[in-house]
Amino acid sequence: MSLLRLENVTKRFGGLVAVDRVSLEIKKGEFLGIVGPNGSGKTTLFNVINGVFYPDEGRVFFEETDITRMPPYKRAPLGIARTFQIPRPFASATVRENVAVGAMFGFQAKTINVEQSLEIADKVIERIGLSSHGNKSAGVLTPVEKKLMEIARALAMKPKLLLMDEAMAGMHPGEIDNMVKFLREVAQEEEIAIVAMVEHIMRAVVNMAEKVIVLDYGEKIVDAPTREALSDPRVVDVYLGKGAKEENAEG
Amino acid sequence: MLLEQLSGNLIQGVVLGAVYGMATMGLSLIFGVLKVVNVGHGAFVMVGAFVTLFFFSSLGLNPFIAIPAAFLVGILLGLAFYYAAIKKLLNAPELATLLATFSAGVLLEETVKMIFGSEYRGFNWDVGKVDLIVTALPMSKIFAALGSVAIALLLYVWFKRTRAGSAMRSVVEDSHGARVCGVNVDGVYAMSFALGIGLTVASGVLLTMFIPVGINPYMGGGYTLKAFVIAVLGGLSSPYGAFFGGLVFGLIENTSYTLFAFIPGVEPFSLTRFLSFLILLIILLIRPTGIIKAK
Amino acid sequence: MKNRLSPYYPLLPVFVAYFALFLVGRNVEGTWQLVATLLFYCALGQAFNIFLGMTGYVDFGYVAFLGVGTYGMAIAITGLANFPQLGLGIVAIGFVLAIIMATLLSTAVGAVALRLRGAYFAIATIGVNEGFRFLIEGANLWNGSSGMIFTAQLNEILGRDLASRVMTLWADILVLFIGALAAVVTLLYMKSKIGYALTALREDEDAAKVMGINVTKYKITAFITSASFAGTVGAAAWALKTPYVFPPEVFEIHYTIEAIIIVMLGGAGTLLGPLVGALIYGVSKYYLSIFLPGVQLFIFALVIIFVIVTFPEGVVGVIKRKTRNTAIGQYII
Ligand SMILES: Nc1ncnc2c1ncn2[C@@H]1O[C@H](COP(=O)(O)OP(=O)(O)OP(=O)(O)O)[C@@H](O)[C@H]1O
Ligand SMILES: [Mg+2]
Repeated sequence: MSLLRLENVTKRFGGLVAVDRVSLEIKKGEFLGIVGPNGSGKTTLFNVINGVFYPDEGRVFFEETDITRMPPYKRAPLGIARTFQIPRPFASATVRENVAVGAMFGFQAKTINVEQSLEIADKVIERIGLSSHGNKSAGVLTPVEKKLMEIARALAMKPKLLLMDEAMAGMHPGEIDNMVKFLREVAQEEEIAIVAMVEHIMRAVVNMAEKVIVLDYGEKIVDAPTREALSDPRVVDVYLGKGAKEENAEG
Repeated sequence: MLLEQLSGNLIQGVVLGAVYGMATMGLSLIFGVLKVVNVGHGAFVMVGAFVTLFFFSSLGLNPFIAIPAAFLVGILLGLAFYYAAIKKLLNAPELATLLATFSAGVLLEETVKMIFGSEYRGFNWDVGKVDLIVTALPMSKIFAALGSVAIALLLYVWFKRTRAGSAMRSVVEDSHGARVCGVNVDGVYAMSFALGIGLTVASGVLLTMFIPVGINPYMGGGYTLKAFVIAVLGGLSSPYGAFFGGLVFGLIENTSYTLFAFIPGVEPFSLTRFLSFLILLIILLIRPTGIIKAK
Repeated sequence: MKNRLSPYYPLLPVFVAYFALFLVGRNVEGTWQLVATLLFYCALGQAFNIFLGMTGYVDFGYVAFLGVGTYGMAIAITGLANFPQLGLGIVAIGFVLAIIMATLLSTAVGAVALRLRGAYFAIATIGVNEGFRFLIEGANLWNGSSGMIFTAQLNEILGRDLASRVMTLWADILVLFIGALAAVVTLLYMKSKIGYALTALREDEDAAKVMGINVTKYKITAFITSASFAGTVGAAAWALKTPYVFPPEVFEIHYTIEAIIIVMLGGAGTLLGPLVGALIYGVSKYYLSIFLPGVQLFIFALVIIFVIVTFPEGVVGVIKRKTRNTAIGQYII
């Protein structure tokens, strides 16, 4: 049984096709990387998966239930969590309260109370290394801390599927390695499938994902095990090639 | 008999509607460019009415001379308010600009009250009547309608033909893109806000032709509500949508007044105002993006 | 340090303030009128805060809920005047009716408008009070524009003595209890899921949805709660205190303005804010009306713009931020 399945999903903005007939499948506990140049439709794909946008065509299944037109707030309790490319903390609330919100309305929403949510929040915050910031307003955190807080908030939801949009952008190589290690551990313990989109951080992709999907102009051009995918000439062309060119231009 | 009255009201409705439309363009311009809802809109209309009153009653001048003066007053008020408050609130939660514009409206009302007092005033600019068989129209109202159309056309030309105008349009389309392309977005914001307020205050001059004894510091509330009905009819962010929304609204208002008058035991004036509120809710319910499409 | 009551400590300053107000009003000659006004502002602010403060949405037509509440009490008293044996029961029915009417109106408005985002919501509410007033006047509901006067009926139902004590004292004490109850409900909301949901949606509605929060449901809950309290304030502070109701008076936007001033000045979304705002506003309005009559709204409009630009979290918001993690902090939220 697949955890998440997309069938021929298309999303347009006016004339622009942001996601073009993408099909994909993720199994329980799997680690999938999505790469693709700027504007290739990665974030839009996430938005379709968690219901921020409904697709124009195609269907989305979660645990074999059709959720194509289900509003986002009903998807979270099914076990779908995400982080945002640009962090979106609830700025006036404390870090602890932010993370507790995740627990409160996530997968355990029906059975959990405020006290328990706060306890979970404390544990997750501790684990991700934000303990000293627990009582600070989320708005005053540094960008990297905000990303960590978002990951904590998503994990507190006890998701089966975690969508991470550029969760590691802005981190140092050392921090990325730690993050990857942390995510692997948590995912294994809790059987979370993680879909991470990683733009320029190949390091993370290589170390993390079992499978990689490459998007280009909204189309899925590669879907293969990581090593294989990374040596695919189309990937080098579309993604690495372009990146390399940009770097040369900068230098 | 009813038909005659209705067709008479049709004409009255179009004439008033043109002025309503012009009176809402500023509101839509400000929302379109800055995404700020000017909840104090009616108070700025009121300022225009008082400028006219001052010109006509105190200086004995033709009320149309008050238009540029009111426009200038509006530009100055707009700039002052923009730099004192709005500019600092553009990135704040929406609540902030809503309450700030609302408070600005209250501030204007209270200021005018302190200067002119709160009794109802008015003036009568008598320049004859035209007899249109089904109805008689005072020339002053016809001038007001023509003035509205002229101002709307001027604005149109200004948008299309001047650099400032096209910069403004580019910000409406995509403020981020415009910034990247080197448009001085902050300047455009200030200018649009000032222009929007200028238009609104100027519209107050034209509206006085329809309310011979209704000038009062608190007269704006009703216009704020009407302006929002009109603005959402036209999609809220397009000044031209607003203009056509005004025409439609003028017609609805006049027609419903005529029809309600036939129902015994009700007050047609009050029910007409209730109806405008109902229309607002219905449009927001079915199509918050507006009924009329105009570029 | 941590005990089961500690979440409720923030109610302490609220209750102390109400108690002090009561004592001053009862014991210092000639102050009850001022105290009654302050109690009205406290209750108004406390009720409005549940919506504006907790959701970040502005309802410019808020006074309509006080208005229909006033009508609720008026209808009960005039309608049941033939059953004087019911006595105070009629007043109780009046409150129930006030709550029902405010709930119905807020459900109707909320069902349409709360599906919309901030600015559109505000626009939709701008006409609610006027719209309702014109419906009553236009369709000749409940005596239309001539309103209802029911002093005689109140006298008949309660007897002259009790009726006059209700008008001069008990109505105000009821307002005190309504304000205090609204504060308790505010705190209970803050400490439960709804409070977390409201904070989240106030800060970022889209992110809140993605976190699993049914934002419309929580917004409507806050809206209806806030409206019901407003209905009871209207029923007590207007209908019982001055037993008449005229549409232009009870739907006057002026009261919405005052509610906004009180909540924003004191601190939107804080528990103590509406009370502090009400005291600052009420006392300064009182003195301004003596020394500079006619300018109080002018001054407060300026003050509110200043507050929004420089410290939008309000007086209590600032204190709360400064005292966070201190001993005083646990009493101020
Ligand atoms: N809400 C929207 N309205 C209109 N166009 C949009 C919207 N969201 C995304 N787009 C467009 O869709 C395309 C895909 O955008 P998307 O954000 O999904 O790409 P991405 O792969 O996440 O890019 P990045 O690496 O920059 O994050 C882009 O051309 C973008 O401009
Ligand atoms: Mg993206």
